[in-house]
Amino acid sequence: MTLFRKAPTTDRMEDVPDDDSWRNWFDRHGPKLLLCARQWTRSLADAEDVVQEAFIRFWRHQRKLGGEPQALLITSLRRAAIDLARSNARRGAREELADGGLENTGPVFETPFEGDDRRQAIEDALRHLPAEQREVLTLKIWGELTFEQIAAQLGISPNTAASRYRYALGALRHVLTAADCHG
Amino acid sequence: MDNDLQELEAELKRLRPIAPSTFTVERIERALASRRRSFLAWAALPLAAALVGLIAFREKPGAARAVPGPLAPKSVATYKPVSADNVLYDRTDEGLVTLADGSTARRYRSSYVDTITWRDPRTQASLRWSVPRTEERVVPVRFQ
Repeated sequence: MTLFRKAPTTDRMEDVPDDDSWRNWFDRHGPKLLLCARQWTRSLADAEDVVQEAFIRFWRHQRKLGGEPQALLITSLRRAAIDLARSNARRGAREELADGGLENTGPVFETPFEGDDRRQAIEDALRHLPAEQREVLTLKIWGELTFEQIAAQLGISPNTAASRYRYALGALRHVLTAADCHG
Repeated sequence: MDNDLQELEAELKRLRPIAPSTFTVERIERALASRRRSFLAWAALPLAAALVGLIAFREKPGAARAVPGPLAPKSVATYKPVSADNVLYDRTDEGLVTLADGSTARRYRSSYVDTITWRDPRTQASLRWSVPRTEERVVPVRFQ
């Protein structure tokens, strides 16, 4: 199995509704976008602001452009996060994207009816991943981007993106297996 | 990638991230609704002007009908958007304002340059479009 297969995209531009039914579309994509935004912001509140700004921009100006909406939206998200970091920098903080620690409070995923311990273990393991690996993992799994698209977003090569993804999965498996062994 | 990693990958894909708060959804709804109202108001102006022009033309006796010119050749280039960048170059906090319903909000004015790039994958020709944009955001303030 090759790592460079085409990511299964759930939507293309032609699937974006022409009417005002943005709410259905946002219900489906909002959670994934929020998780991606949390990689580049310092708090959940900042991530929500970034999602709001990027989604409004996308819905008003970009949804009829053609191509894959997810990639455009994530570009918009990252740009909004950079803008927010710049805005914070004017108030004395450093001008750089946050490393998105996913914070230590609040859940990252919805709680399933069963297997909550497993979800918690996965969240803990994700929080302890190096930020650069977690970023690639999130963009691949929940952002549904290809390695080429991730590389373009982050300014790295597709091979580096694929390596970080594989390291991230390996590290997660290691931590989760250890957690299983220790109960 | 071995089977263990593929299983882990599938397990991660089944997890659904938490959704944005209802407060964020409401803010999006308000922003999109206000934009639609202002668009309708502005769209009415050229429509009215066109209607007046049409009536004047029809009432003018002996007015010659415009003869359509030769059709422009259809472009065979198929440009696809490859990137969309938005650069913020100014943001001003305009302070607290009182809305029509009496509630208090904080108003921010942001100035952007939006740049969208299209590329024809066949010829690699690219087209870049940049436009300045000013955005005004009103964020409700809650005093506790």
